[in-house]
Amino acid sequence: MSDLATLTIAKASALLARGELKAIDITEACLARIEKFDARLNAFVTLTADQARAAARQADREIARGHRRGALHGIPIGIKDIYETAGVRTAGNSHLLVDHVPNSDAETVVRLRAAGAVILGKLATHEFATGAITPDQPFPPARNPWNPELQPGGSSSGSGTAVAAGFCAGAMGSDTSGSIRNPAGWCAVSGLKPTYGLLSRRGIFSLAPSFDTAGPMAWTAEDCALMLDVLAGHDPLDPASARREPVAYAQTVHKPVTGLRIGLIRHWYAHADGATADIVRGVDEAVMVLRELGCILEEIIMPDLVDYQACARIIIGAEAHAIHRRALNEHPEKFGYTTRRRLQLGAFLTAEQYVAATRFRRKLQIDTDTAMRGFDLVMTANQYGPPDNFENPPVFHFLDKPPLPNPFNVTGQPALTVCCGFDADGYPLAFQLAGRPFDDATVLTAGAAYERATPWREKRPSL
Amino acid sequence: MATPATEIALQEFRVRAAHTGMTLTEDDIVLLHKGYVGLMRFMERFPKDSAPEAESAHVFKLFGEVAP
Repeated sequence: MSDLATLTIAKASALLARGELKAIDITEACLARIEKFDARLNAFVTLTADQARAAARQADREIARGHRRGALHGIPIGIKDIYETAGVRTAGNSHLLVDHVPNSDAETVVRLRAAGAVILGKLATHEFATGAITPDQPFPPARNPWNPELQPGGSSSGSGTAVAAGFCAGAMGSDTSGSIRNPAGWCAVSGLKPTYGLLSRRGIFSLAPSFDTAGPMAWTAEDCALMLDVLAGHDPLDPASARREPVAYAQTVHKPVTGLRIGLIRHWYAHADGATADIVRGVDEAVMVLRELGCILEEIIMPDLVDYQACARIIIGAEAHAIHRRALNEHPEKFGYTTRRRLQLGAFLTAEQYVAATRFRRKLQIDTDTAMRGFDLVMTANQYGPPDNFENPPVFHFLDKPPLPNPFNVTGQPALTVCCGFDADGYPLAFQLAGRPFDDATVLTAGAAYERATPWREKRPSL
Repeated sequence: MATPATEIALQEFRVRAAHTGMTLTEDDIVLLHKGYVGLMRFMERFPKDSAPEAESAHVFKLFGEVAP
């Protein structure tokens, strides 16, 4: 693998700042890798190579003149194809929008461009970010770079694949019910679901507005922090956007973690029907590493994982149907087989049931907050086992095993996926760190400290 | 095992389906009914009585945040 294509954002940015690297060189390195390997992995649905080269050369000119805009200036970034991009097709892997070319960028894309990031193109997604892969969708599914016979996880599937494969230094994902953390975990990259409301969702296709969260994916937690520095901020045109004092996330990730109190939620995954022995071992070993770093870890009890799953499914079901109702009624044939049925199910939920779920959500937020008392962070497994294959998933997969990322969508807390090794077959293991609302900095700091103390960021998939 | 009160029969579900405005085949209805029953089983976990502090659905209220 080319060294330039696998540079972290932090490393590449430092080299760019010192004039020891050109943005056009790192961009060409990424484009060359995409050209060579993406026919097998399908990470990109639209590649904007000429625009990327022009942006990279512009970055080089500006940096040479002493006008460096910041850490993302000249850094190649991929964008999930549910983020609107001016003049570039944004289809959301839907036949309904396969010719949709927006006039403007999503607010987060505006921020990335203003920071001088080089946008390489649009990345594969599950249809409307619903989590379903079926052959009747417009684009082929992204494949896992650790084994292309397996899924990368979704719905930000192309984002996980592209970062792990060295096609881009960072990518944008979205997380309504684990859609950043699933592919982050199964592709062995870092992925942050920020606190709900920290990043604007304006210009991003909505799935369930009270859960939808935009977020960064990159090779390291430090890189996610560098992206978050650019992405976070109030947007008056996103009704969920929070007004918060700016935080210098990338500065905080080098702070010591001594004395951080972390509650380990083992009962969610360490049981007979839970995670594989490899996952349990990986998380246990990560606990030991964090203790060696000076963190104080204690096992804690949270509400039942199924409670979060139940709450999330009613709310997401109702909201997603409301978003897609007209198209479902007028053009049902334009939806994939599984997507259509998942969205149609919400039509049968009543207002009373939706309100009951929102009340339950409030209770779970309070109960989670109470259980976290005395702790800065909580930690749990990110996934139960290795990635899935491409066999047709159950239509209503969300009725099965409760997803481990769900609780932090229900509560709105920030949650980071951190790779903690590999199983006996070479597939990634990962845990989540979740923090208090708007304390994304502590989440990233602990994740970055763990990554620096372990060798897992040295291993890339062999393509 | 007793059928939970929240589970509705396929026949009743079919009637409701006719009022959704969606074009559904019989296979769709049978599949959606199974999904609906699954959701209703989830709802059995919800508290029967909500405390006053559980009323707000707004995430920011918990966070001490006020949307503009």
